[in-house]
Order: sequence, then structure tokens, then C-alpha cells
Amino acid sequence: MKKDKIQFMFYTLTHPVDGFYEIRHRGKGSIGLSLLTVFFCGIAYCINKRYAGFIVNAADTRNVNSLLYMFTIFVLFFLFCIGNWSVTCLMNGEGRMQDIITATGYALLPIPLLFFPATLLSQIVTADEQMFYYLLINLSILWGALLVILSNMIIHNYTLTKEISTLLLTVAAMLIILFIILLFYSMFRQMAEFIKSIYTELIFRV
Amino acid sequence: MKRFFMILAAALLILSEPLTVSAKEILPYDTYNYDYRGKAVSTPAAYNPEKTVFGENLSCGSFKNPKDMFITDDGTIYIADTGNNRIVVLNSDMEVLQIIDSFVNNDKKDTFNSPSGVCYTEDGELYIADTNNKRVIALDGSTNLVKIIRDPRSEVLSSDFDFVPLKVSVDYAGRVYVIASNVYQGIMAFNQESEFMGYFGTIHVRITLAQKFWRLFSTKEQRAKQLQYIPTEFTGLDIDDEGFVYATNLDSTGGQAIRMLNPKGIDVIQKNHNGVRALGGDIRFRMGGDYQGASEIVDVKIRDGGIYSLLDCNRGRIFSYDSEGNLLYIFGGMGTQEGTFSQPVAIEAYQDLIYVLDASRNAIFVFEPTSYGSNINQAVGLRYNGDETKAVAVWKKVLEMDSNNEMAYSGIGKAYLSSGENKKAMYYLKMGVNKEYYSIAYKRYRNELLRENLSWILTAILVGIILLRVSRRIIKSRIRRIRS
Repeated sequence: MKKDKIQFMFYTLTHPVDGFYEIRHRGKGSIGLSLLTVFFCGIAYCINKRYAGFIVNAADTRNVNSLLYMFTIFVLFFLFCIGNWSVTCLMNGEGRMQDIITATGYALLPIPLLFFPATLLSQIVTADEQMFYYLLINLSILWGALLVILSNMIIHNYTLTKEISTLLLTVAAMLIILFIILLFYSMFRQMAEFIKSIYTELIFRV
Repeated sequence: MKRFFMILAAALLILSEPLTVSAKEILPYDTYNYDYRGKAVSTPAAYNPEKTVFGENLSCGSFKNPKDMFITDDGTIYIADTGNNRIVVLNSDMEVLQIIDSFVNNDKKDTFNSPSGVCYTEDGELYIADTNNKRVIALDGSTNLVKIIRDPRSEVLSSDFDFVPLKVSVDYAGRVYVIASNVYQGIMAFNQESEFMGYFGTIHVRITLAQKFWRLFSTKEQRAKQLQYIPTEFTGLDIDDEGFVYATNLDSTGGQAIRMLNPKGIDVIQKNHNGVRALGGDIRFRMGGDYQGASEIVDVKIRDGGIYSLLDCNRGRIFSYDSEGNLLYIFGGMGTQEGTFSQPVAIEAYQDLIYVLDASRNAIFVFEPTSYGSNINQAVGLRYNGDETKAVAVWKKVLEMDSNNEMAYSGIGKAYLSSGENKKAMYYLKMGVNKEYYSIAYKRYRNELLRENLSWILTAILVGIILLRVSRRIIKSRIRRIRS
């Protein structure tokens, strides 16, 4: 069963329309595999930042923070899923939360698949040949983006125009979520400060 | 217990050491440089203040708002003492040789009015930008008039053009280049017959996308009230031995404050191929508060080995670049201590000393190189003259003093590259974050590896192919056997 699911993940890579339809309606996807893909995305990105060849890697390797990259990628992933779910709920989307997480995770598969060979390739390219490296990197990102759009479109049963407007709204929703989180964060901090000051006041007076 | 006494003894020994620090170790300014990523990194000082020369201490009396200075190849210093309407001539030991405050013009005594530019040619002629008299005067050594440039007439000049020369420079062919006030078209060039030849090295206005965008929405009245987009004025100039005019200008973005103009007036300056490609002094600066804005480069001096130094009057810093546009070192600052400026206006160099004229403190500041600075100068000079292998030893000395010096790593790497030691070159070029040359070194190294191991690689491929074929055949025959 598990083997089938892994095979199916690679099937969606080349047959996105069929693949994502089956994930939505026949339960062929798995949330675990999807999260694993996101995890591998993070790993691939960190390794690329840290170990890509000197000629193509402008990042200061002393300041590469893998944990931060990993955290950012997961936060962005969940923000997108929650934002997308909130928007599509109101816009007659057919996808459930579990479909969104599964399909979006599956759609990111090209990134680890191509980032690893690109990082390897970067070790042996010279400046004249670095376009091959960038070809792989850009291809993976384009492919991933295309799959994200397609997956979302199919699991919600949208037309392309509606899908694009939904994605724009999703970005807005993500920003609103971030804003609310920040708001709550500062509010709770102020509340904590308030309680702390009451506590100190009591300590000194009583 | 024994250990305790040993520590105590060591502590006493350290404390008993006289805690004297010579004045020069405490510099009144920060010395730093920018690394590949444009981050400011502290470096050892390249130049230390050696002495400050005030007019009061000389026989000529105090300077008053001096605006320009020129030092000849033999060390004679000409100072345009603008406020005192005179030219003061010093020798390299800072003794007054001559004070020029008048000259003979048509058998009559003539004087200057706020001379703010001075230049001495190889033929022994002294050119003075006599600003408020609206003329440029050329005198021979004994203050006899050679020629006067005034009232330039040309089709490109309006009939009521007001010629207010600020800075003057002369090339080997006797062409005179004048920076004039309120002239935005470029440097004014005059031929030997004092005729106006045209504008030189015009800086074209660049309007950013945002500016274009806002202009789209503004009405005619608003547009009239907006700032006019005019090219920046040139601020200072110097001419090298080959006749290239180095001219500084103000650039509020900090991108390019120096231009190297060929005889056609086209900018041919080299920007570094690596890192932040800027020739405008400070790369990072604040946009508000104290010390805000880009460096305001007011003068340039071309020094030995293709090095040129820019003088910033905003933060009082001196930026030195090599002929390839690499920033070598930065020193200087604003203040009232020795070695800091309040209104620096002109920079000159003689031998390995750097001279800066301050118009507000009415003084000449002399800076001498430290061993760090002179080693960099020497190494850059060696590379400039094509002697890269000799430069390696000097760069290694620089690295001993500053192990973050990317220029030094690159310099050593380039030398190893040209001598064919690609592996070593790769290490040094990587340390110097020089991607361009690293790529070349790596390519050669890779070819070397391939050539040496070609037989192995080919054998491995051949064996691989054979193994693949054989294994496939075995698998097929097994499958057949299982089926049958």
C-alpha cells in the first residue's frame, strides 16, 4: 500500500490532472508523504545554500542558518494551506484541508528532485557553464509553481481565471493571518507585562 | 599553590609592563574597507597623520579659505589661498618659496580676485583659475603673464554666458580643462590658443523609473515646481601622464563619483569585476541623521602604480582605488583633532605622502603610509607594471597584517594562476572571493585532472558498459528460464 502511494506521488509529477483528481476523489494521497516532501524541500534548500559550488553560490556560508530556512519553509507551507483553505471555503472550493495539504506538498516534489542534482552539478561547473545549474534551479521552481496552480485548480474544481484570483486572495489571506498573529503576539506580551507588573506590585506591597 | 604563585608572577609581569601607547596608535578616525558583500570590515590603518601645517607657522601668514592645491613632481606645493587673493608656493619641506599676489599684465600690475584653482604644467607654466575676475591666467615661473583665457565665445555658449572658472588642469599637449561654476554640460576644454573647443565628458542625466512614474501623474504646474533633473557638476580633476582626465562629480546614489575621460571625452574607467561595482566612496551610508548621504567626492589625485585617491568632504574620508577599480583602503574623518578635517577641498600626493588641504581649518594635513599601506601600494604597483610574481611576497606581508584582505588573496591567487599552479590559485582566489578568476583556475585544474586521469575514466566507462550489457543478458536469460 505504502509503495503504491510513493509511486503515485511520482505519477502526479508527470500526470498532474489525473493525479490530483485521484488524490481528491479516490484518496490516493497521503499527508505524511506530503509533509515529507516539504521536509525534503527544506533539506534541499539548506544543502544548496550551504554546499553549492563557490562559483554559483553568493551566499555567505558563514551566515547560512539551516534551521531558520527549514522553519521558514514549513511556516510558509502551512500559511499557504490555511490561507487557501479559508479562501476556498468561501468560494465554493471542493477541496478539504487534507486535500490541500496533500496536493500542495505533492506539487513541491520537483524542488527536491532537481535541487539535489543541481547542487551536485554546481560543484563541477565553471562560470561559462553555470547556466546549466541555473537551468535546473529555474526549471524546478517553474515546474513546482505550475503544479501548485494545477493542484489547487483540480482539487477545488475551479476554472483557471477563478484559480488565479483565488491564489491572489490566498496571498492576501496569508498576510492577514500574519498580521493577526503579530497583533496577538504583541497583545499577549502587553498582557504578560501587565500581569507581571501587578505581581511585582503585590510582592512589594503585601 | 605553586600554580597560584606562577599566575601571580605572570600577572605582576604583565602589569609592570609600561602601558604606553604611542599617539599614532590611537587614530582619530576609523579605518575600514568593504568586503565582497559590501560589508564594512575594519582594517589596519593604511595612512597615519604625520603633521599638520598651518599658515601661521610659516612665513607667509595664515591661509584664508584656501580652495586648491597642486604639488609638482619635484615636491613644490602651490596653494590657491583664495581668501587672501594669492598663490603661496612651498617646497617639500614646507618652507615658503614664493608668494604670488600680482603679475604684470600689459605693463601694468594686475592682481587676483579669489583664485580657487591652480595647476602647474611640465613646461613650467602656472595656471590659475582667477574665479571672481572670470578668467584663467597662465604665468611662467617668474610671474610673467603667458596667456589669459576669458570670455569664451562659441555657438554652444549663450551670448550672456558668465565664465566663472573654479578648477583648472592642463594636459601634456597644452589643452586646458576648466571646471566652471553653473556649467552642467561638462568640463570646458580650451586649446593652446585659448579658444573654447567644447564641452568635455558630459554626464547624462539618468531619471529613475520612480521619477518617471511620478512625472506621469503631475500637472504642468507641479512639474515646474519640481526639482529640475540636471546633470551633476564636476568637482575636481587631475590628468595622468597619458592625458586621461580623471574628474570627480557628486553622485547622491554613491554609484560613480569618478570618471576617467579619454581624449574624446568618453568615460573609460574600470569598475571592479567582483563584488559591489561602485566607485563612489562609501557603499553603505545612512539616509538620515548624522553623517547621512553618499560621499561627496570633491577631488582626485592620480598616484603611482595607477592608484587614485578620492577625497570625500561629507565624512572627510579618503578612498584609494587601484586602476582596476578595487577599493584598497579608506582613512580620514571629520573632527578637530590632528588628522581630521572640517572642510577638505583638495588632495595631492608627493612620493608616498598624501596631502589634504582644508578650507575651513586653513591647514595642510600630511599623511604618511604605515607598513600596511605602503605594502599595498607596492603590491598594486608591481601588478600594475606586470610584475605579479614579485607581488606575491608583498601581498603575503599584507595578509600577515590583515588576514581579511580580499585584494591580497586575489593578488596571490592571480600570480599563482599565471604561473600555472592552479590548485593553489583556487584556494587563494576563493579566499579573495574572486569568482571570475576562480572559475578560470578551476577550469584549468579540471582539465588537468581530466587529462591525467583520462585513461582511468575511459576504462571505467568501458567496463561499465560491458558490465551493463552482460548483466542485462543474464537477467533476460533468467527471466526466460523462470517463464519456461
